[in-house]
Amino acid sequence: MPNPLNELLRQYLTVAIFAGLGLAMVGAMLGVGWLLRPDRPEPQKYINYESGVDPLGVMWSQSQIRYYVFALLFVLFDVEAVFIFPWATRLEAYGAFGLIEMAVFIFILALGLVYAWRKGVLRWV
Amino acid sequence: MTVLSVLAQLSGPPFESLPIDWHALAPEVVLLSVAVLITLVDSIGLERARPLMPGLAGLGLLGALIPVITLAVEGSDRVLFGGAYVVDDLSLLLKAVFLLSGYVIVLLSTNYIAEGDYWEGEYYNLLLFSLLGMVVMASARDLITIFVALELLSIPAYMLAAWRKGDRRSNEAGMKYLLMGVFASAVMLYGMSLVYGVTGTTLLEPIGLIFAEVGTASVITLGVIFVIIGFSFKVSAVPFHTWAPDTYEGAPTPVAAFLAVASKIAGFVALISLIYFGFLGQSDLIEPLLFILATLSMFVGNLIALRQTNIIRMLAYSGVAQAGFMLAPFAVAASDPETSLKAVVTYLVIYAAMNLGAFAVVIALARKTRSGEISSFGGAFQYAPALTVAMSVFLFSLAGIPPLGGWFAKFSVFAAVVNAGTTAGYVMAVIVAVNSVIALYYYAQVAKTMWMDPVPDGDMTPVGVPPSLGWAIVLTAALTLLFGVLPGLLGDVTDSFDLGHLELLAFPG
Repeated sequence: MPNPLNELLRQYLTVAIFAGLGLAMVGAMLGVGWLLRPDRPEPQKYINYESGVDPLGVMWSQSQIRYYVFALLFVLFDVEAVFIFPWATRLEAYGAFGLIEMAVFIFILALGLVYAWRKGVLRWV
Repeated sequence: MTVLSVLAQLSGPPFESLPIDWHALAPEVVLLSVAVLITLVDSIGLERARPLMPGLAGLGLLGALIPVITLAVEGSDRVLFGGAYVVDDLSLLLKAVFLLSGYVIVLLSTNYIAEGDYWEGEYYNLLLFSLLGMVVMASARDLITIFVALELLSIPAYMLAAWRKGDRRSNEAGMKYLLMGVFASAVMLYGMSLVYGVTGTTLLEPIGLIFAEVGTASVITLGVIFVIIGFSFKVSAVPFHTWAPDTYEGAPTPVAAFLAVASKIAGFVALISLIYFGFLGQSDLIEPLLFILATLSMFVGNLIALRQTNIIRMLAYSGVAQAGFMLAPFAVAASDPETSLKAVVTYLVIYAAMNLGAFAVVIALARKTRSGEISSFGGAFQYAPALTVAMSVFLFSLAGIPPLGGWFAKFSVFAAVVNAGTTAGYVMAVIVAVNSVIALYYYAQVAKTMWMDPVPDGDMTPVGVPPSLGWAIVLTAALTLLFGVLPGLLGDVTDSFDLGHLELLAFPG
């Protein structure tokens, strides 16, 4: 009969090997890159955009939050489309059940738009 | 041939709408409707609707409790969606705990959120959606349902943790919680994919039967451990607890209470479903893992809590230690499945009452002291005797002193680990006993400060406790006392659980 403690440790050895492999893989990828790449440091290479516009001003500049809100609203309709297209191809089969389900879904999504509109997000001030 | 008939042919076999048991789903439907209603009222009324929000949310949570009660009275187990969703006594009790904790958290938030410069409709909306995820979690018996419930309860919580937008610490809290939560989700999903790969199903029941049959395999080991580690983050078990103190401290205090109680219990509910309905057959694997997690959580949580000067951080580390106590029965999950499951559930219910109460008193006292330092609560007995007595009740209950609820919780855990009759069980009993003593020291230290120390700034004006906060403290204190004086109440509920399947999973053949 095998020693139960050995059995137990062998089971957890799998996890240790797995973790070791994970670390080794990251290490190997970075290590191979480090070995293969040429190393010729130049001050030009430390600029943010090496061949682009010269960076001006401070790093922590703020960007307009409204772009983010518009992106979110876009996702609202994007997700809607993802679900509506497949649903529409089988609308007849789904019948009344499918119609009500989709009405509830669209109502909740539309509520998101109403909310955004009432909170003044759609105005570009 | 018309275009429509071609389309009808292409679209495959006719669709049969799923039979849906609306009564069993009523708590979820009510919660969802109220959350949507809050957004609607908020969109229409804008500033004028602000005072309505807490009332709507609170009534909605109590409304969702009604179908839970009718389902419990009716008493039959309902299985939905091919076994992925089960409404039985166990899940109904847990749903009731989530809904009542949510109600208390709305009471705690009412003045805190209304008086600060916060968005109110969104706050209660997100709170309700998070609670919806928890209520779903209580019934989930399927890997995908568990994962969806987890995301539904976590994502609003990430935002709530960062609700004090102008405060750097709150942003830090939300960010830390988000990053750790997402990392945990990724690890857990990977584990779930491995479990699915081995068993070919996401339903826990067949997974349990397969795991009980096949014995050990490397893939199962990896899958099970990754899934359990994922939920260890959620319940803030050591060594995955590092986010908890910073997040609780930075988040608005009612949100900290929400994370410390409702969110933590949701993590335990997922662990209960996974372990007692799925992984029980792999006892050689899960028992040692949970033994180590429980032991580390108790010792590390308690020893670090000894050194805390901030009451929220102390409650955070005490929460880590309490998670250890709740994990202790899992260490004998397969040796004595029934007793240990009941012990965990008993502890969860009582923990919700006493920990919410402690947070409620902290919120009430902080209205005067404007500080979370324990020393700032010095001499609270002189200007707020009722709050001090209530805090002592909660603290000594957390420490496990009879006749308060925490005593029965600790007793159940102790009885479960001893009852299992294994060496690990006896060792765990000793660890639980030692840690109960360590914990008593820092809980009693806070009580001593409040009763005996002088008032730091000599300001003796009484604390104005708003009615909602007062009602929350009365409610939680009454429940804490009730569970301690009449432990049979909870025992009767846990005895009604239908746990026939456990023997099958734990002792196959």
